[in-house]
Amino acid sequence: MLTGTADGRRRTAVRLTVFSVVVSVCFAALGISFWYIQVLHNQMYREMAEANTERRLPLRAPRGILFDRKLRVLVENRDAYVISILREHSGNLDRTMRLLADATGVPESQVRETVARHMSTPRYQPIVVIEDASLAQVSAVLARRLDFELPGVFVQRVPTRRYPSGGLGAHLLGYVSEISEAQMASDRLQSGSMVGQSGIEKAYNKLLMGTDGERRVMVNNVGREITALAELPATEGHRIQLTIDYDLQQAAEDAFRVSGYSGAAVVLDPRNGEILALTSVPSYDPNLFAAGIDPATWKRLSTDQLRPLQNRAIQGRYSPGSTFKVVVATAALEEGIITPDFKVTCLGGATFFNRFFQCNSKGGHGTLDLRHAIERSCNVYFYTIGNMVGIDKIHKWAEILGLSGKTGIDLPNEAESLVPSSAWKKANTGQRWYSGETISVAIGQGQVSVTPLALALTYATVANGGARFTPRLVRAVNDGSGWKTPADVNAGVIPRLKPETVAVLHDALSLVVNGAGTGGGARLIGYEVAGKTGTAQVISLQGAKQAAGRTDVDLRDHGWFAFFAPKDNPEVAGVVFAEHALHGANAAPLVRHIIETYFASKEGRPLPVLAPPPPPAVKAAAAPAAGQDRPH
Amino acid sequence: MFNRRLYRYLDWPLVAAVYALCVIGVLMIYSTTGDATRAATARLFLVQIYAILIGTAAFVICLSVDYRSLADRAHVLYMLALGTLLYVLVFGVARGGGRRWIVLPLFNLQPSEFVKLALALLLARLFASNVQKNPTTANLVIGGLLTGVPLLLIMIQPDLGTALTLVPVLIGIAYVGGMRLRVAGVLLALTIVAAPAVWTYALKDYQKARVVTFLDPWRDPRGKGYQQIQAQITVGAGGLWGQGFRKGTQGQLNFLPVAHNDFIFSVLAEEHGFVGVLSVLGLYLFIVVRSLDTARHAKDRLGTYLVVGVLSSFTFQVLYNISMSAGLAIVKGIPLPLMSYGGSSMIATLAGFGLVLNVRMRRFTN
Repeated sequence: MLTGTADGRRRTAVRLTVFSVVVSVCFAALGISFWYIQVLHNQMYREMAEANTERRLPLRAPRGILFDRKLRVLVENRDAYVISILREHSGNLDRTMRLLADATGVPESQVRETVARHMSTPRYQPIVVIEDASLAQVSAVLARRLDFELPGVFVQRVPTRRYPSGGLGAHLLGYVSEISEAQMASDRLQSGSMVGQSGIEKAYNKLLMGTDGERRVMVNNVGREITALAELPATEGHRIQLTIDYDLQQAAEDAFRVSGYSGAAVVLDPRNGEILALTSVPSYDPNLFAAGIDPATWKRLSTDQLRPLQNRAIQGRYSPGSTFKVVVATAALEEGIITPDFKVTCLGGATFFNRFFQCNSKGGHGTLDLRHAIERSCNVYFYTIGNMVGIDKIHKWAEILGLSGKTGIDLPNEAESLVPSSAWKKANTGQRWYSGETISVAIGQGQVSVTPLALALTYATVANGGARFTPRLVRAVNDGSGWKTPADVNAGVIPRLKPETVAVLHDALSLVVNGAGTGGGARLIGYEVAGKTGTAQVISLQGAKQAAGRTDVDLRDHGWFAFFAPKDNPEVAGVVFAEHALHGANAAPLVRHIIETYFASKEGRPLPVLAPPPPPAVKAAAAPAAGQDRPH
Repeated sequence: MFNRRLYRYLDWPLVAAVYALCVIGVLMIYSTTGDATRAATARLFLVQIYAILIGTAAFVICLSVDYRSLADRAHVLYMLALGTLLYVLVFGVARGGGRRWIVLPLFNLQPSEFVKLALALLLARLFASNVQKNPTTANLVIGGLLTGVPLLLIMIQPDLGTALTLVPVLIGIAYVGGMRLRVAGVLLALTIVAAPAVWTYALKDYQKARVVTFLDPWRDPRGKGYQQIQAQITVGAGGLWGQGFRKGTQGQLNFLPVAHNDFIFSVLAEEHGFVGVLSVLGLYLFIVVRSLDTARHAKDRLGTYLVVGVLSSFTFQVLYNISMSAGLAIVKGIPLPLMSYGGSSMIATLAGFGLVLNVRMRRFTN
């Protein structure tokens, strides 16, 4: 009932109607909007709401356990706490990082650096800021989380690698650490994953890693867990039984420890190529890496002049010295260039291509056949037959025996051994091979450089009659359904040496240890050990004079001892390489301990215990003077 | 003053609709804050119930006193309202970047909410008394001044959201009171012309950022765009039937900031879905249409204009808040009348409907 003029009343009524219509249209528009959002696009928004409230926490899978050949644990897992930041829930990331550093006592710069390194990680994936957090750090974080001070920060218990024997077999077993950006790209693995970075851990990473699980939890807006929704358990990685014999590995490392030498030892079963022990000294404790290595320790390890991170057994390349004579002898016999009775007279040196080459015995060895030339390690004999055989045939037989190129061991980053050939020289220097160069090669000097593993393989090949196996470290794999032996890579390998050649070499190498040779230190009563010493020149005589400032020890030659035993039916073969041991004879006691341990373990006798370290093997300084007798 | 017989003319359906929304509001507030683990907000729904009770008292008072005698004292009420605004600016409680409240035992009073009522009364009287001379343009100028003074005072607090709710009072009354469309067009044109200047000189940086964020909330999803995005997710996640009372993850897990306050409708949308949304929209529309009917059948122009004044602000708030809940409007502190948590808003709104019902009840009296 409107008052006023009829016109005015009508106008007001119209305007009120317009008001009604406009408002009704607005309400209708709102209704349609809500229909659009709630009904038509419900799925999209529901997923967004779930993404808000659901957090998927990766459950790190325990890595597979590593055993030795007798199923003794070499590497296992332990639980550790990691503290992570989930940027999606962290709100003010800057503040969170500051408070986290404050609460845990970790330098703020370190926290920031870690987060900055992972900025390309998706926001919904946690960034591990503190690996292996202490209980104090864990409780500090948990207390503040209850106070809502640290949104997006959470603590997880994760399985972490544990190496119960510390540095034992560190180079062989390798270590794990957080995946790098490059690995992420190539292996399609998630940020924060722990992956093998060297050794078996790296070579068999995919088998060992297992499958990560996932825990779905509901969180509130500050990232606090409200309730668990579901859990997909992690699957442990495959368990791997290695070919390594813990006792023998221990023996090899003890031998180095007691002797005080750096170096490497490789022991394998010449019957099938299984590695029984592989060590490189000095070593490191892979436990340091298991939960993230601290920068200071990493710097110390990576800049140490003794290079503890280098696996000398497969990455170090050295002149094989006189151990190489076996290769030259094999080539000469197999190519029919000489017979075992072929004799050479040594007068302390000989001239080839107008240059005088000296023997290791200044007075000369007299007239020798092949057996005794090896026993006495007569250089003149090998200069002579090496010259007769020629570089390419030496190269060919070095390759057949396993001394040239890579052995193919199932470890990453193996270095290639080099036994030169004329084709190699042409390809690498553009020059032809001079016959005079063969003379040096014939006694394992010159451009020959081999890894301890390759030399060990060569002696295993000689020991078994010429079957060149691919060295291998994995005996069996257990994926949860029992142990399975991998396909045998060495199936079908047949011996290539003539029995006469094998017999001569075995005799000769036995004489080195049990006769008048330089390997007496490896002699073991009751077992016929065969072997050969070798000296790797560290520095040339001329170079020695220029090496002012180097310590005496640095200038000493390296010592080799390559071996197998028993002579007639070899079960164990290998090599010990002792840095700056001056000559191979000093490596022989290490070999003796290894072989003694092998047989004691096999026969169930108490394992030998090494005597306290002997006095330093060499008191005199430095490089030998010209003409001095050089034991080989 | 109050005649018992007038109860016969009380618009019970409107009363029922108003109180139905109050009850829904309390339930929604309980849903987002009632959890004992949220100690800081656990008892807010009780405070809201007290506010409804006090509001009911205000409602009864505004219903009982003849609106004409109230309009006669509109200037006094208006001056009183301005006084409280000035008081707040000097002695008010500062919180969250604004100085808007007077501390009371149960809740803090926000005087700006009551200015709307005083303004509606004063403007209704202005437009009703000058009608014979029909100088709507003059009324508009005077009305503009009367609106502008409290608006400025509220903006100084600063509370742009509440300040904006005064404008519809003037526009509503002026429009129904005969403002020529030509004038409306000029005002609109002026607004458009002035917009760049307002943008450049009047708006503060954070206000500009809000506009930019509204247009593209994903520019800063965890910062300025957070509320808008979360509100939209909350609404969208509700679906047709909703996730159930106290079962909406967005609201329950605090992803929606101050859900019990400006975003109460989003919580309703999440928990009760499109069906719940339509029901509540229906209730609001019913209130508006029913009140407009009151305006149409008012005994005099004063009554019509008063209802339109109260209703314009109410409708504007409802539409704005609900649009904001769905991410369709810039996030501003404009509560949803009758449902959002807030004592002052509740009391003022109930008092406003007291006035609306007052007009309807007295349409047959002299």
